[in-house]
Amino acid sequence: MSDLFSSSVSGLLAFQRALDVTSNNISNVATPGYTKENANFTERPGQAYSSGYIGSGTDIQSVTRSYDELLAGQVRSSQSSFSNFDTYATQAANIDNMLSDPKTGLTVSLQNFINAYQTVANSPSTTAQRQALLSQATAISQQMQNYNTQLQTYAGGIEQGISSAITQINTLTDGIAKLNQQIASGLASTGQTPNQLMDQRDQMLDQLSQYVSVSTATQADGSMNVYVGTGQPLVIGATSQQLQATPNQYDASENQVSIVGGGGLTTDITSTITGGQLGGLLSVRSQVLRPAENTLGQFSVGLATLVNQAQGAGLDLTGTAGKPMFSVGGVLSSSSRSNTGTASVATTRTNLGSLTSDDYILRQTSAGTWTLTDEMTNQPVTMTGTGTAADPFMAAGLSMVVSGTASVGDSYEIRPTAGASAGMNVLLTSPAQIAVASSIQTTGVGANTGTGVVKSSVVSDPSVWVPGVYTISFTSANAYQVKDASNNVVGTGNYTSGTPITFNGASVTLTGSPATGDTFTVGAAGASNTGDNSNAFALIDSLNAAKMNGGTTSLSSVANNLVSQIGVQTQQAQSNASAQKAVNASATDSRNNLSGVNLDEEAAKMVQYQQAYSACAQLIQASNTMFNTLISAIKG
Amino acid sequence: MRIATITFQTNATSQMNNLQADLAKTQNDLATGTRLHSAADDPAAMSQVNTLNVQMSASTQYVTNGNYATSTLQLEEQAMSDATNTLQSARDLAVEANNPALSASQRADIAAQLQQQLQDLISIGNRVDGSGNQIFAGTASNTVPFSQNGTTVNYLGATQTSQIQIGPNQRISSGDTGASVFMNIPAGNGTFTTSGAATNTGTGSIGVGTVSNTAAWVPDTYTIAFTSPTDYTVTNSTGTVVSTVTNFKDGDSISFNGVQIPMTGTPAAGDTFTVAKAGNASAFSTLQSIITTLSDPTLSNAQISSQIGGALQQIDNAISNMSNVSASVGARLNSITSSQGAAQALQTNLTTAVSQLSDTDYAAAITKLNTEEVSLQAAQQSYASISQLSLFKFLQ
Repeated sequence: MSDLFSSSVSGLLAFQRALDVTSNNISNVATPGYTKENANFTERPGQAYSSGYIGSGTDIQSVTRSYDELLAGQVRSSQSSFSNFDTYATQAANIDNMLSDPKTGLTVSLQNFINAYQTVANSPSTTAQRQALLSQATAISQQMQNYNTQLQTYAGGIEQGISSAITQINTLTDGIAKLNQQIASGLASTGQTPNQLMDQRDQMLDQLSQYVSVSTATQADGSMNVYVGTGQPLVIGATSQQLQATPNQYDASENQVSIVGGGGLTTDITSTITGGQLGGLLSVRSQVLRPAENTLGQFSVGLATLVNQAQGAGLDLTGTAGKPMFSVGGVLSSSSRSNTGTASVATTRTNLGSLTSDDYILRQTSAGTWTLTDEMTNQPVTMTGTGTAADPFMAAGLSMVVSGTASVGDSYEIRPTAGASAGMNVLLTSPAQIAVASSIQTTGVGANTGTGVVKSSVVSDPSVWVPGVYTISFTSANAYQVKDASNNVVGTGNYTSGTPITFNGASVTLTGSPATGDTFTVGAAGASNTGDNSNAFALIDSLNAAKMNGGTTSLSSVANNLVSQIGVQTQQAQSNASAQKAVNASATDSRNNLSGVNLDEEAAKMVQYQQAYSACAQLIQASNTMFNTLISAIKG
Repeated sequence: MRIATITFQTNATSQMNNLQADLAKTQNDLATGTRLHSAADDPAAMSQVNTLNVQMSASTQYVTNGNYATSTLQLEEQAMSDATNTLQSARDLAVEANNPALSASQRADIAAQLQQQLQDLISIGNRVDGSGNQIFAGTASNTVPFSQNGTTVNYLGATQTSQIQIGPNQRISSGDTGASVFMNIPAGNGTFTTSGAATNTGTGSIGVGTVSNTAAWVPDTYTIAFTSPTDYTVTNSTGTVVSTVTNFKDGDSISFNGVQIPMTGTPAAGDTFTVAKAGNASAFSTLQSIITTLSDPTLSNAQISSQIGGALQQIDNAISNMSNVSASVGARLNSITSSQGAAQALQTNLTTAVSQLSDTDYAAAITKLNTEEVSLQAAQQSYASISQLSLFKFLQ
């Protein structure tokens, strides 16, 4: 009887517990991150009777979660990937929208500027048309300044995002460490898994995955270690290591991600961070934002250089040599904060065609030996020179002069074009200052007997133009020789009427038939040529020519290529994000299908336990009745 | 296979979200008419659209340039037409003056009228266009090109002209220098000039002459010296005698070294005539020379006739030169018209190309919109009906 009683009571208690578990499951059907719990029944050990072994009821041995580490891990890694691409796509889309308008984009502005030059060329002495050109110049330089301001705003937003992601990560790792301690002590003291705490910890790990890609390792004592990057530990047992946003050694406004180790020592782990919002922000900064700054700067430098060179090679309306039209910001040369020497590096741009949209690191690797590395590709760049003012380092269209004493290991970051757009301004104040007329003119010598006539003479390539007086002499009716003032031959060729004769950056076109011995003198133009527009056409031709990137790309292509590159990066990130979203949804489904609550299942279980409970209660009733019967039988 | 209740919920919600997002995008494409909102929508298409827009803008500018060039060239054409008329009037006056019966004062009257024609010609040369720029000064557009100093008219303008861009690779001269129109006119018959010495006393009048055999002509300065009314020798600049004739009479031509020069009248002994290589003579100096001749009462009829004969040839040369330049201006005007026509066709093609790349295809978008609407409705209805199913309902 006592066996009947005790085993029914055990059943009663067990089913009561089981119903508790079921009701908990049902209440938490909508709780995110909740893992379904199962009451695990075990049979009590049997007792030996002469009639056989009789079991003594049931116990709930444990309440465990329906949990699979592999499925949970897949959810986290796909979450990290999705957050990574989603963050990247959002930031890249900002820049994409800024650049993309087909009506106000950079290619349209450049063409408007060229059109304004064409209009001035139609009537070079008309002030109104020159004023319109100055207005276009102001408009395009303001547009570059605006782009720069916008990019700085986005950059600020990215830095903000990085430091707030780090703050969130630190909060979560602290929480995980605390939970580790509670779970370990709970497991140690009761031998049962603290399911609710483990659910909480899983939630925190899921949230952590949104910020950065992590890997986990479960320990024997129930705690979970968390690693980031290439194995840097964020959480070991009950202790967590903090991440810190540290300033970049060259640019204090840029955040690097460091991990704070023992004794407060920080280690920069930025290059190993992948995944999550943090990985997305770091990638978009280095792959989209900085290249956009550099390429826009390259455009500004290209436009300003070509126009200013043409100004210098032409005459303005007063007959004086043209002054520069545009100013642009200089090269950014920053010393590393960890430098121990006293040197600084001054860098100027020397060759437009050799300028790139990359950034460089100049480092003294051993005493007297300097190397230049491309910051994006980490490839070394060949440099000539010794770095002194008389013999500067020359590479990538730059000239670098080191002044002061640098220690071994000192390094400097050189950003050739990033600062150009911010400083783009129009320097000319009066429409008369636009140099539309050629600064050279060619005249036939009076003794010429042929019928050669000068059609035009202009400086077509100001970057190699050597000012001076030149003589073109015809050695025969079909061949000419060009000599400079010191009688050095600077050009020879066969003559065709109407085909330009080029030398030292000048281009002289003759028509007709010169005779043998005829000579033409190329010298400075007089101030009376107010109607001459050949310098304007020389500039228009160079703005349309491939003068950038080693002579392969025109200014317009630089702008157009930037727009489509950002477009491609945004589009790819967006499609990767939606692919990862689907992967994440599928992984979440798989996990939920194992760990999620199914109301119908719980309803069925509830019915089962209820019936069993009633049955056990009935058994207790029966046992009570049997006992009463026995007592009344004995009482008589 | 086991499905969690939450799976069903989250999947249904996220699918409806996705369908709504797609629907919103399609609706946006329809409302704005363009499917290219940013480069991310189609980077390759956006790049092409940018390039096409640049071409279109440049093409529009070329048309504007062409209009400006047309108005300048038309003014030039008008000026040359007026100049030709002036020269024609001067020619008529010169023919009228070549009449031995006229008295010195009658000749002086004609000289005064010719002076007026000369002044007219100078002021035509100094005309300005609509923007106040000199038409015939080349690139020195603020310099008055023709200036008269005593009896000489000098050209002070530039030797080069400006260009205007009327097409992607087409630049044309927007004018012609005054030098090429008025100054650099071949003298004589283009190859040589003839003149009689001022000290001649006979009645011989030398004509303009022609080149009958180009191969035989040796460019040089020749002197025809008459030793008597019937005998003359032709010597070149080094003194070599190239021809001797002893039976000259009135009306004969003088021939030597491939040239034939008519001579009328009877030269006296000691009279000389010069045959020189032709240089350039300006239209102004031609008119001036007639005026000078008619104003000199000491000249004989023969000398007057000879000089006017030469001047008439010069005027013809000037008119012919002007008509050549006019033809070139006409050709330029034609090429502007045809390049503007080409620009029109190009712009139409570019607009079509841009539209194909960036405009919404309404038929496809509306079909897509309908499909997405139907999908969303199906998702919503199916969710509504399936979410009702629960075992708890049946356990009441």
